[in-house]
Amino acid sequence: MSVTRMQNTVGKSQTMSDRTATASRLEEVVSTPDEFDQVVLQALPMLLDRATGSTKRFLRETGQWNDDIEHEKFALRWGSEYLERFLVCGRTEVPCRPLFLFDSLVAKQHSKPEPFCYHPDLLRPLGRFLDGLAARAVISRDALIALYHHVYGWGPGEVIAVTGLNGLESQRIYKNFRRWRDAGWQRTMDEMGLTKAELAELGSQQQRHRQRFNSEAEQLIRVAQAHYRKSEPNHYPCLSRSQWGEMFTQGYGCDYRIWHLALCLDCMQTAWGLGSNGSAIGEKPRLELQVRP
Amino acid sequence: MGQEEDLELYRSRLLESLNGRSSRYLRDASDPIQVYVNERRVGELEGTGIGAMLRVQCVDHIDTVQLRTEEGTLLGGLVAPEHGFRTDRLRLSFDAIELCVHNTAQGGMLSALFIPAPGFWSRAWKSIAETVDRLVPHRLDAALAYGMRSVAFTQALLAVAVVGLVADRVTTWTWMTPEPTPSPVVQTASLPASPPVETARLGQQLDEVARIQAKIGEALASQQNGIVQLHQAVAKLSSTQESVVSSVVMVKEEVKEELEKRLEAVGREADRTTRHVASKGRVEQEQLEAAIHSLTADNDRLSKEVAGLEENNQALKTKLQAANASKAVDPNPDRLLARQTDASRQPLQLADSLPGSQQQPFLFWVTFSEGTSQESIDQWVNGMKGHKGAVNEGWQEVRIVPPPVPPDRFLEQIRGEKIVKAARISQ
Ligand SMILES: [Zn+2]
Ligand SMILES: [Zn+2]
Repeated sequence: MSVTRMQNTVGKSQTMSDRTATASRLEEVVSTPDEFDQVVLQALPMLLDRATGSTKRFLRETGQWNDDIEHEKFALRWGSEYLERFLVCGRTEVPCRPLFLFDSLVAKQHSKPEPFCYHPDLLRPLGRFLDGLAARAVISRDALIALYHHVYGWGPGEVIAVTGLNGLESQRIYKNFRRWRDAGWQRTMDEMGLTKAELAELGSQQQRHRQRFNSEAEQLIRVAQAHYRKSEPNHYPCLSRSQWGEMFTQGYGCDYRIWHLALCLDCMQTAWGLGSNGSAIGEKPRLELQVRP
Repeated sequence: MGQEEDLELYRSRLLESLNGRSSRYLRDASDPIQVYVNERRVGELEGTGIGAMLRVQCVDHIDTVQLRTEEGTLLGGLVAPEHGFRTDRLRLSFDAIELCVHNTAQGGMLSALFIPAPGFWSRAWKSIAETVDRLVPHRLDAALAYGMRSVAFTQALLAVAVVGLVADRVTTWTWMTPEPTPSPVVQTASLPASPPVETARLGQQLDEVARIQAKIGEALASQQNGIVQLHQAVAKLSSTQESVVSSVVMVKEEVKEELEKRLEAVGREADRTTRHVASKGRVEQEQLEAAIHSLTADNDRLSKEVAGLEENNQALKTKLQAANASKAVDPNPDRLLARQTDASRQPLQLADSLPGSQQQPFLFWVTFSEGTSQESIDQWVNGMKGHKGAVNEGWQEVRIVPPPVPPDRFLEQIRGEKIVKAARISQ
């Protein structure tokens, strides 16, 4: 463990282990944002383990735990997510005792209804891949746009046509695609703990058993989409074809279209063909899961 | 690879990414900033414009605000108190975003204001000062001293630039006029005839004035700072003052738009004249005079309008001060209540070492012994300066200021209370 790599120990007692020193420093009041950064950055490994530990405890208490590496990874992932939010928001909370602030922040996350999207199948590589894409789409517009590529295999031009965007918005789509290819995809895979081997295996399944692969993916992506759609602005609900049609022809709800259609397989079917000015666009889209960006 | 190794690799990768958070970030300045309230996306903030603003009204309380890039990188955020205000300025490399959250019983309100890098303004000021310096070296200090205040500054510079042009012209032609004292008042009286070279030079200077004006257009937005401070002051008041905020913002918009319109018109005029100079090679003296005259007239009108708007702003400030004064009597009824309960029975020794600090509340769940009355429960919660939250299957949610002892020890203490049957942290 790398917990002991602290540069500036509290110093009073050399015999005191660094870990204890770090922990006790975190219990003291810090009074400026800079001090907060300094104290907290020295204690990242300890804080990550702490958040992971309480996430594990929460999963156990709610009957969602199993002693295997998939669950360990799941707890680590959320622990790190909480820690990132703490790093950013905590510094605005000074003066505070960082450790208790952190504990209460994690406890607060766990007190929400359905704090995360848990499903045993989402812990396996394919599920983790899809869960990772959808979770990332909620916080990143690049990832949101990339969902169109990963789910249907579309490029920027098709995304623009399907969602019926105008010139200015189109430019953004190209940018989203480029950034996702350059770094976003890799970063998401890393954060989901998907190894090269696992990704290679997904790729070969896609090649060899295309149909089974896609139908399995469809089931899982529905679970993930239903969970993460709750994060949409104002719970943009599903609409009827005439409602979608009105939105497309009158040119409003650009955000609504982009967000909801990326995260809802059914509405994509419903709204199909409305985007490209009514011209024939061919068959309804089918799920064609892409592993690579 | 073994599973242990796989897990350890994953853990160290996550740590690496957390560690490199700040250094990795480089925002593409043209991309909007994504705004999240309670981890739900609510809109975007233009990351290039001057004074781009997003206002969000929520039915629920605002717990958290987060700002992210399009890539999803968390740029900053804050945790808001359950009641009252929280403001924070988030630095984004060079620019900043002013966040202001107000939670009331009716819900939450967020305003996010984009503030461009200070360098943007100092650069604008510097180039204006340099140009003015070249035109009227001896008048620069006075001009800066005079103009340091908000909108008036812009006006002063515009006036000085025009004065500088006239002064320059007067000194150039001193051989014609017996009294070379440049007057600070713009003189549009008839000027002596001049050789074509001089006229061309004048044209050039007029062009310069036009360019200064373009820069002034940018500089106009520096009044933003004043508005931001005003907004912060307003934010400290109760929500009943929200209407004042919106009128201040409106005034700001009016000033900006009006001045921009004006300057554009003036600039076009000057531009036209200059092009005329270039094509003809010579220009009628009257035409230049007319151009200068119209610049001055425009400037005058502008001054009057700005003065009117300033007055308007002043009135708003006065209103604000009055509101402030009336508020000062009872700045925070909540705290008053807290002080009262201080004196009453305190079942737990909760250290009050951080008075007034807006901490993230500490949240725990309790069940009470059989037959405990609602009244004694309330008394117990009040004694901790706590707030009751939801009730779920007999468990009562309680929020308090974070205790000075670790959560486990705190729970032990709680469980020791007579009326408490059980206590735990998660639901
Ligand atoms: Zn839908
Ligand atoms: Zn406000």
